[in-house]
Parts: sequence; C-alpha cells; structure tokens
Amino acid sequence: MKKKFYPDYLIEILFFAILTFELILILTFIFPPLIGREIDLLVAYQPRPEWYYLWLFWLLRYFSADTVFIGGVLVPLSIVSFLILVPWIDKKIGWKFTALIAFTFLLIFLIATIIEAIS
Amino acid sequence: MNIIDWFLDRFRLKTVHRGIFDRDIPEGISYFYCFGGIAFSAFLFCFISGLFLSLHYIPSEKEAYQSILRIQEEVPLGKLIRGIHKWSANVLIVSIIFHSIRVFVTKSYRPPRELNWVVGVLVFLIIMLEGFTGYLLPWDQKAYWATVVGTNIAGSIPFVGETILLIIRGNYEVSGVTLSRFYSFHVLWFPSIIILLLWAHFHMIKKLGISKPL
Repeated sequence: MKKKFYPDYLIEILFFAILTFELILILTFIFPPLIGREIDLLVAYQPRPEWYYLWLFWLLRYFSADTVFIGGVLVPLSIVSFLILVPWIDKKIGWKFTALIAFTFLLIFLIATIIEAIS
Repeated sequence: MNIIDWFLDRFRLKTVHRGIFDRDIPEGISYFYCFGGIAFSAFLFCFISGLFLSLHYIPSEKEAYQSILRIQEEVPLGKLIRGIHKWSANVLIVSIIFHSIRVFVTKSYRPPRELNWVVGVLVFLIIMLEGFTGYLLPWDQKAYWATVVGTNIAGSIPFVGETILLIIRGNYEVSGVTLSRFYSFHVLWFPSIIILLLWAHFHMIKKLGISKPL
C-alpha cells in the first residue's frame, strides 16, 4: 500500500511532536532550571560548559596557552569541514572508510563527554 | 466555497498545499526516520518559549540577572517556560545528532541530496552557537566565566585573534556590550539564519522526496 504524507505520515509526525513535548515537560519538572550566583569578579571561578561542549573542554586540557587555538579552533573547524564534505569524501574513499572516520569522531565525542562529566 | 478553500485560493496556496500534502512517502520507512521531525518540534518549542522569555528578559548589564530572578520567582509560569526553553534546547541537540547518524547510515546524503546534507550541517553548527550565546544571557557567575573562557579560545588565534575577540566581545573584557551583542545573536541573527536554512532544508526534501530506504 502506498503511503501518502496526508494523512498517514502527518499523524505520525504529530504523534512524535506531542511525545517530544511531553518528554520536555517531564524533564522540566524533574530537573527545573537553576540560577547561579551573581557575578563576582573577585572570586576565581572554574566554569563548566554545557554537556555538548564538554568534549572540547576535555580536548583543551592537552594544549598549552600558546597552542590552545589548535584544539579550540582548528580541530572543531576540521570536524565541521569533514562533516560538510562527507558526500564527496564518500564518493572518493567509499562509505566504509567514511563511516570509520565518522564513527571514530563519535566515539571520541562520547568518551570525552563521559570522562569530563564524571570528573 | 468553505473557509479553508477560500483561504487557500486567496493566498494562491492550492498547488503548494498539494505539493506538501499529496506527496508519496516511500515504503519501508522505519521509526529511525523520526529524529528530523523531533528536532524540528524541539526547535519550535525553543522558539515559542523564547518568545515568551523575551517578554520579561532585560539584556542589560545591571538588570539581566535581576530579570532572570524575576522570571524564575515572580512571573507566572516563568520557571516552567525557562525550563521548557532549556530542555527543548537539549532535546534539539540530541535529536540532531541522532538525525545525522540516521542520514549517514541510510546514505541519504548521496546525490542528489548532498546540498541538503551541507545545509543540515550548517544548521547544526548554528544551533551549537545558539547554545554558546544563550549560556551568557542569565548573566550569573557561571555564565560570565564560561564566556570569558570560550571567547578566549577565539582570541588565541595567531595574528587575527585580537580582532576576532573584539568583534565577538565588542570590548576588551566581557561586559555589558558583550551581553547585548550575544542577546542580538541569540534572538535575531541566529534564529533568522536557522529559519532560512530550514526553509531550504524542507524545500529540498519536498522537491527531491524522502530518500528511499536501502
């Protein structure tokens, strides 16, 4: 049987949109938003980024003040360029090798995030 | 002529409407295809809750923190709206990651859809920047120092670092100028760019169709 966008697919999309909203509401009630202390320029403070930047935070531990732009700028830029070029890299070296590189990135991202989150 | 037909006719939407609603969906689509839709829903929830937050938030050095406290404690449903904004941002990023993995695994980025992949990567990039600029807006201790550290990275680039740092911060230090700048990026520049890119994303899906499962 051929599926049409309307009504077959649309109802599924709406179902997932409502489910997403319910998930967000549940998360909001279990973990309500917090507000930190007022800015105090005299107190040294070790900030922690949101979880999606933790991998970068972990990476920057391995760079000194002179080379920090390599970890903080060049590495993210090269990851973004890799992602943008995926369709053409795939054509050149095949899906399997592209997937290997992408999977390595994903694994490093996950491991670095977990290491930073529990430390 | 009923009211819906009248509206569609006056707006000259009939063909567009048909292009969206009468499309065929390829067979064998699994539930792994839902993450794009979830990401878009999360974006909309973010957008709408952000509209409400902006009614009470004041992007100024002296009042930003106080206005967040007011949203949190006094404004009716303020805490709820703030929570929705925060959590839909998190859901948005998680679902974009899953959506990218799905597209990669089903090889849907292959021609003729390579431009759609590129647009998707750009949306992801700007969503990440939304997260970074939004982090400063509560103007508390955590936000301030995170922005100092984050923008310092841009300042460390050889030769052009200082110029870039000045463009981002609007000043040598993170200050009220940085706050208005980040607020402008967070609520005007980035959302406008995202909406344009999403239009392109959906336009291409509409014209090229959903990729056939393997």
